[in-house]
Amino acid sequence: MSASVFQRIADSTLGAWVNSSALIWPTLETIHFISLCVLMGSLLVIDLRLVGFYRERCASTIRVLARLALLAFAVNLATGVLFVFGNTFKYVGNPAFELKLALIAAAGLNAGLYQWRLSHLVETEEVTWGSMAVGCVSLALWAGVIVCGRMITFYAR
Amino acid sequence: MAGGPTLLALHSVGMAVVVGLSLMITLRLHRILPGPRLELIPRLLTLAGWGFVLNLVTGLGVFITRGPEYIVSGIFLAKMALVVVGAGLTVWLWSRLGPPTRAAGVPAVDGVAKAVSLGATLAWFGAVVAGRLIAYLSDLY
Repeated sequence: MSASVFQRIADSTLGAWVNSSALIWPTLETIHFISLCVLMGSLLVIDLRLVGFYRERCASTIRVLARLALLAFAVNLATGVLFVFGNTFKYVGNPAFELKLALIAAAGLNAGLYQWRLSHLVETEEVTWGSMAVGCVSLALWAGVIVCGRMITFYAR
Repeated sequence: MAGGPTLLALHSVGMAVVVGLSLMITLRLHRILPGPRLELIPRLLTLAGWGFVLNLVTGLGVFITRGPEYIVSGIFLAKMALVVVGAGLTVWLWSRLGPPTRAAGVPAVDGVAKAVSLGATLAWFGAVVAGRLIAYLSDLY
């Protein structure tokens, strides 16, 4: 994307709204952190089942947790987009932000792999090498997302 | 990049583990979540404890570098108070549902345990909010 596109984002009405009050940014950050904790908690319980920390038939639990995780992710995404509109040039070209986006994309692919090949496992008490790999990769990727998110401030221009 | 940002980043990971698991345990004890089995709760509490250890170690690391500034920050002290309440209630819950009842199989989850779990989760969320506001109500990050 060209610099003019980023400038238009920075000059947008939404960007102006994010900066219109000293309360908006801290409120958005607080909501972002709280939904991050909900997301991490949901994923931990799902991934711990995949890696074999516990073994039980828990398809209904996983379904509820997956919906909760998706809802939390949607809140994170919405607040994250508002951050970009509110302070565009803090994020554009920021290596921590770019790595965070790449890790989120990788986590999405990993979740897709689970849905495609492994979701039937939670209807059993089975744990496979594949489920352990998907669970471990998920936990590592989301931990990386949190680390990169916290690093954005320190890599901003 | 200095060690301070790394400590803060790891602090966030520990926070997400503690608060996230505390919420999941509360949802399970209140039967909002249908599973996992209640026998797993003490193990999840132990895992949350390891998240807290990560928080404690990284938090101390940050505090060592800028202690005098943190100690006079009201919002930081509020966060510490909430952490003490959250940790205290979580330890109480662990002692109630953990080792003493392990031999009996399924932990006895009564109204008190549910209330304590909810209180711990609210305290942890309060600590997250206070922690985030430190950057805005003081010159710290």
